[in-house]
Amino acid sequence: MERYYLSLERREKLGLALLLVAMLLLFLGLVKLQVFDHAKLAAQSESNRIRVVPIVPSRGVVLDREGRVIIDSRPSYSVSVIPAEEVAEVTVSRLAELIGVDTLQIRKRIRKNTVSRYQPAIVKRDISFEVVAVLEEQSARYPGIAYQVERVRKYTDQLAAESFTGYVGEVSENELKRKDGANLRLGSMIGKKGLEKHYDHLLRGVEGTEYIEVAASGQIIGRYEGRDLVPPVPGADLKLSIDIDIQQACVNALDTFCCGAIVAMDPRNGEVLAMTSFPGYDANIFSSVIPPDLWEEIRSDSTHPLLNRPLDGQYPPASTVKFVAVGAALEEKLIGRNTTLKPCYGAFQFGVRSFRCWNPAGHGKIDAAEALEVSCDVFLYQLGLKLDVDLLSKYYGLCGFGRATGVDLPGESPGLNPNSEYYDTRYGKNKWTRGLVLNTSIGQGEVLATPLQLAQFFCGLANDGMVYRPHFVRSVIGPDGVERATSPAVAFKLPFSPSTMEILWEGLRRVVEGEHGTARSLKNDLYTIGGKTGTAQNPHGENHSWFVGVAPLERPEIVVCVIVENAGHGSDVAAPLVGQVIKRYMNKKLGRQELVIDKSVGEI
Amino acid sequence: MLNYGDLDWKLIGAALALSLIGVVLIMSAQHYETATYQQTFYQRQLIWLVIALAVFAVVAHLPLRGFDLSAYLLYGGAVVMLVLVLLIGSTRMGAMRWFSFGPINLAPSDIAKIALVLALSRFMAYTKLPVSSKRRLGLSTLLMLIPVMLILKQPDLGTSLVFFVILFVLWFWSGLSPWYMLLIISPLFSLIAASQTVAWIVYLIVLLIFLSWLRPGMMFGVLTVVANLAFGIIMPFLWGRMAEYQKLRILTFVDPSLDPRGAGYQIIQSKIAIGSGGFLGKGLTAGSQTRLEFLPERHTDFIFSVLGEEFGLIGGAIVLILFGFIFYRAIRIAAKCRSRFASHVVMGAAGILFFQFFVNIGMTLGFMPVTGLALPFLSYGGTSLVLCWTLVGFMVLADYHWQEY
Repeated sequence: MERYYLSLERREKLGLALLLVAMLLLFLGLVKLQVFDHAKLAAQSESNRIRVVPIVPSRGVVLDREGRVIIDSRPSYSVSVIPAEEVAEVTVSRLAELIGVDTLQIRKRIRKNTVSRYQPAIVKRDISFEVVAVLEEQSARYPGIAYQVERVRKYTDQLAAESFTGYVGEVSENELKRKDGANLRLGSMIGKKGLEKHYDHLLRGVEGTEYIEVAASGQIIGRYEGRDLVPPVPGADLKLSIDIDIQQACVNALDTFCCGAIVAMDPRNGEVLAMTSFPGYDANIFSSVIPPDLWEEIRSDSTHPLLNRPLDGQYPPASTVKFVAVGAALEEKLIGRNTTLKPCYGAFQFGVRSFRCWNPAGHGKIDAAEALEVSCDVFLYQLGLKLDVDLLSKYYGLCGFGRATGVDLPGESPGLNPNSEYYDTRYGKNKWTRGLVLNTSIGQGEVLATPLQLAQFFCGLANDGMVYRPHFVRSVIGPDGVERATSPAVAFKLPFSPSTMEILWEGLRRVVEGEHGTARSLKNDLYTIGGKTGTAQNPHGENHSWFVGVAPLERPEIVVCVIVENAGHGSDVAAPLVGQVIKRYMNKKLGRQELVIDKSVGEI
Repeated sequence: MLNYGDLDWKLIGAALALSLIGVVLIMSAQHYETATYQQTFYQRQLIWLVIALAVFAVVAHLPLRGFDLSAYLLYGGAVVMLVLVLLIGSTRMGAMRWFSFGPINLAPSDIAKIALVLALSRFMAYTKLPVSSKRRLGLSTLLMLIPVMLILKQPDLGTSLVFFVILFVLWFWSGLSPWYMLLIISPLFSLIAASQTVAWIVYLIVLLIFLSWLRPGMMFGVLTVVANLAFGIIMPFLWGRMAEYQKLRILTFVDPSLDPRGAGYQIIQSKIAIGSGGFLGKGLTAGSQTRLEFLPERHTDFIFSVLGEEFGLIGGAIVLILFGFIFYRAIRIAAKCRSRFASHVVMGAAGILFFQFFVNIGMTLGFMPVTGLALPFLSYGGTSLVLCWTLVGFMVLADYHWQEY
């Protein structure tokens, strides 16, 4: 039994020894944490209590050339779910009922926007006051749901300006991964299209930081005194070259048509005075979260409201570019000022094919300027054959076709300027004939241009061959209040000598002023207008109607390019619209009252 | 009545110092609470301290023999209370542990701890059975298991462990060899080792070698081996029947990162609090971990973390020394007491305090599981404080009457 029994003395000693060991163990545990791990744990404790909260700066305002608001921000409410406080089966379903978004969508949004379990994840932006009132009064019914005031982009109504304003939206994962993503967080608003995107870095400003102390429960204790708040730098304001009056004239002009575009520019510096794309969409819908069915509706609309027609719409420029072939032939000395080619009898025979002039009656014997005035196709066919494919293509290129203008907007298309190399790839070597040049000489066939390119080209014609790069921003007003003007940049010079320019100018003038001009309806006593009509053949339906107008001819200040899709002859449809826009400009310039009283009645 | 000068004032002073430190820490821990009633927790603790001291005074004035005679009666009463709390007790945090008398929540398990100490001491002090006899070991185990079964039904893992500890401390103090005790608890080791087959086989070999050296007798040896095999085999079954939070506690004990928002989170935050305190601490009410609510249960289970953060190594060492002194005195008193009963009661009392002290501080330092055991004297809680002071009362009483048989 000895082995199983311990004497009292040994028990006491063993007890005391065990006690000593236990105490030493605890003391060493304390020493390890408080002496050896102290630095590391102290740092952890410091970061534990401070949360860095970004302060979103106010986004810059966008103004027209006279300081009138085009894009502003307005306060709005957004509703969020705090994941940590979410009550299963209750929070999401009740919220869905309240804001009319289905639960699946809400869950997706929470997952996407969750930064931390304790930070609100935005579910819907721009909720109505009624919803806020319900959340306020019945907060117990909606556990884990919070709402915040934030500023939402407001695009001025009735300007149809989304083709250049673009819109903002929540930053996507790809955008977050980009290099400058450091300034962005989940849920940040970022420019997605148009000026909002191109000048996002200026408009967005710099986020500030606030250091707040928080409890482990996520509860905010208050401001952390240890570090000063870094104030946000508000975004810069942009002053555009856009004139809201001209913009409205453009909108009124296109109002009754389905699809089309207008670009108005100042040829003296490349400033865009107005630009619109029809049909458009309401840029405001992107400021809040766009409902999926509305998005689907816009996306699948057969009239393509999301297509930015002035920049991205590529059309055959048709007769509007006849200046290129005429100019090239004059420049290459293939014809002279008074050269009359084979007379036009309404068609031109090339090989076995007959190429028709738009006027079946024919134009007879005409010279270069008159060919432009009456827009004779037969004259141009002959020039095309004289120039051949590559020389014509070279001149198109020198006039800015086939490449983007470099406007300060994203998403611009280059158009298409085909040459023999292009045809070789497209049809195969020797599988095409130079007959193609007949089409390209009158701006048909493979040639494609955007309305902006065409406007830019006419700016060159109107500005003695000097072509400025189109641009929207006249000046940037920094957060310091200092306004910095942007300087217009010369893009290129038209490849035409003064004598050639003179003939082209004569043609341009006679389109309106001439006895047989295709747009003589625009002629008036108050100011002179020049321009060029175009009727783009459209294999899918009615022809597209073009007109590019220039005014006043003595010292051109405005170029207006209009395309109306599927509308017929340029002289019938597009020309009067250009006339309306120019009239608004000239009236404003001359200080005249607009005579339009009611659009439905018509002009007096 | 009593000759007050002969009381163990050093022991009383240490316990009182710890209690007052607790009040100060509770005040600091709740200083920045938004709810004003929580800011007054330290005042309530102060009132409880007064009550606890009164209970202590009563205990110290009672005759030693009174406990001796009423031990089994008290034990029976405690068991009845445990049954009652299961039937009519109020539920809190998923467990039924309290009787509610208005603002006072009485935990019968605290009373049961005292009752078990008294009953086991009574049994071991007077039984004529040899220390390693099967009847003696079996009967004492039965005394312990009855309240434990009732408490496990509540369920409260941490508290039931205290009952096992009481039994083991008293076995040890009644003279049972630690080797023998090791053999008795060996099925538990088997339980742990069985989580890995190789470890379990190695363990069983070690056990057989140990048995052949100790030679505890044929029947005991066979029983031990059978129990070891049985525990090892039923382990997976037992695991499946555990409550999720108990499983999680055991798992996060091994790897706190398994539950970074739950038990693991508490341990991580506690370590940060204590470690960031450094040598001198951040000062009273200046602990950011505490003040910013990173520390959960900071006025109860994690009060030692508040101490570590705000008073550093110095504060921690002082508290350790005070506790160490109490345990040292307890062992000395138990060793000199002529009454076997009193000697056992003192060791049982010290065992309860020591186990809770060691597991709680070990938990805040990150090497013990989160069991929900409060730190004696310091943690907020009225019945816990009264229990601690009752136990101190036993020690002081036994010391005063040490010469009595």
